[in-house]
Amino acid sequence: MTDILTLVFKTFMSQTDLKKDLTVSPPPPTTCGALVVGDHSVSRSVLLLAAVTAASQMGMRVMFFTQTQIQSLPASLQKCFSYPRTVEELLLQIASLHESTNTSPTPPSLIIVDRLESFLSDSRGGSHSGFHPGEQSCAAHLSALLCDTAAFLTQVLEQRSSTSGPCRVIASFQSEVDPEQAGGEPSATDPILDILDRYFQVRCTLDQDRGYEAVAAGLQQLWHIYLSGRGITEASCLTFSWPCFPVLLTATLARGSRRTAIQKDSRQLVREDYSLRPSLPLRTLMSHTCVARVCIDHSFV
Amino acid sequence: MPSLLPAVAEQLFRDIQKTYQETSQIPDDLLIALKFVFGPCALQALDLVDQRSVTCLSSPSGRKAFQVMGGSGRLYTCFVSCHYCPCPAFAYTVLRRNEGLLCKHVLAAYLCQALGVTQEESVSDQQMSKLLSGTAAP
Repeated sequence: MTDILTLVFKTFMSQTDLKKDLTVSPPPPTTCGALVVGDHSVSRSVLLLAAVTAASQMGMRVMFFTQTQIQSLPASLQKCFSYPRTVEELLLQIASLHESTNTSPTPPSLIIVDRLESFLSDSRGGSHSGFHPGEQSCAAHLSALLCDTAAFLTQVLEQRSSTSGPCRVIASFQSEVDPEQAGGEPSATDPILDILDRYFQVRCTLDQDRGYEAVAAGLQQLWHIYLSGRGITEASCLTFSWPCFPVLLTATLARGSRRTAIQKDSRQLVREDYSLRPSLPLRTLMSHTCVARVCIDHSFV
Repeated sequence: MPSLLPAVAEQLFRDIQKTYQETSQIPDDLLIALKFVFGPCALQALDLVDQRSVTCLSSPSGRKAFQVMGGSGRLYTCFVSCHYCPCPAFAYTVLRRNEGLLCKHVLAAYLCQALGVTQEESVSDQQMSKLLSGTAAP
């Protein structure tokens, strides 16, 4: 999943903005999945790009689950998309991926679920306030099912080809807890996100920069991308520009393993970012091992 | 807390499996370690093991799952590769309170697997899908 996300950013990176080469390597087999956390319009774009990139560049068979119909898709990708209406339908469709109709001729190598929070809200039983205990259990069930399904499909892929990588899972989630509204309290955590963190070993956080620089950028919005979690082992940052796609992405790259001026600048950038957003919990910022600044043209979203 | 067992718990299961294969019993020191690592649910899980309450379901596709008969007679479907149980104890103690690694059902499944005393049962692929998704008829 991080290899696919990295490839997404690398693919749409302008060569003039490319400062360092990005290494795309498959994740270890024990890594379950990546959770993209942030505004759902942006995360949906990231997931769609991941699906397209995986299918076209990596030759993967992708299964994309979302409640919202996607209006225009290339014919070759339409069969990759499924639109379960409820969390029960989603659970059954994911649980059915092991059946022969879904593993022939090739089993899925990438499972994507868009807007987990939308599916999980079904489990509140009509309650629209606070967090319902059933929602936590449902989040765990869905996450565990994704992990278990990916583990099974990995075995199938390895049996059919010794060179195939593991089955990957990427999901998106937009938290209801806003650290700024909660006064920046470190204890203001989302209990559903805590549950999801148990099962997803990598978190990709999309964080909008609301500082002066972003405002001065005009129509473009400035976004920060952080990779964190148990599945991240080395620090790195990304620089790329993406002018040829409806979503325009621009980020600043510094490789964490080399003590270069670029790396120094990115560390200063991190400190500056923190000062711009003092409500962001310090432990959250310090635990991040990958930073990218992203400009997004919202004429697409 | 992650959904995979910590290294100490993994090693404990390996030790239990090895010792049980050699002596057909679990020595006191490993039982004490089990209680230390997993807390009160360890004894309850061992009761379930004694009652042969764990069944390994398999389907033609090769997919597997554990089905554990709880003390109340209710069946709980658990996954083989990560921790989850639909029982109230898992939802409250593990997920909400973060006070335990596992519930007794998941622990019993791991113990039965280590001891080789799991019942075996075959189901169809469609039935397996319903069980995994929680949509199977009770």
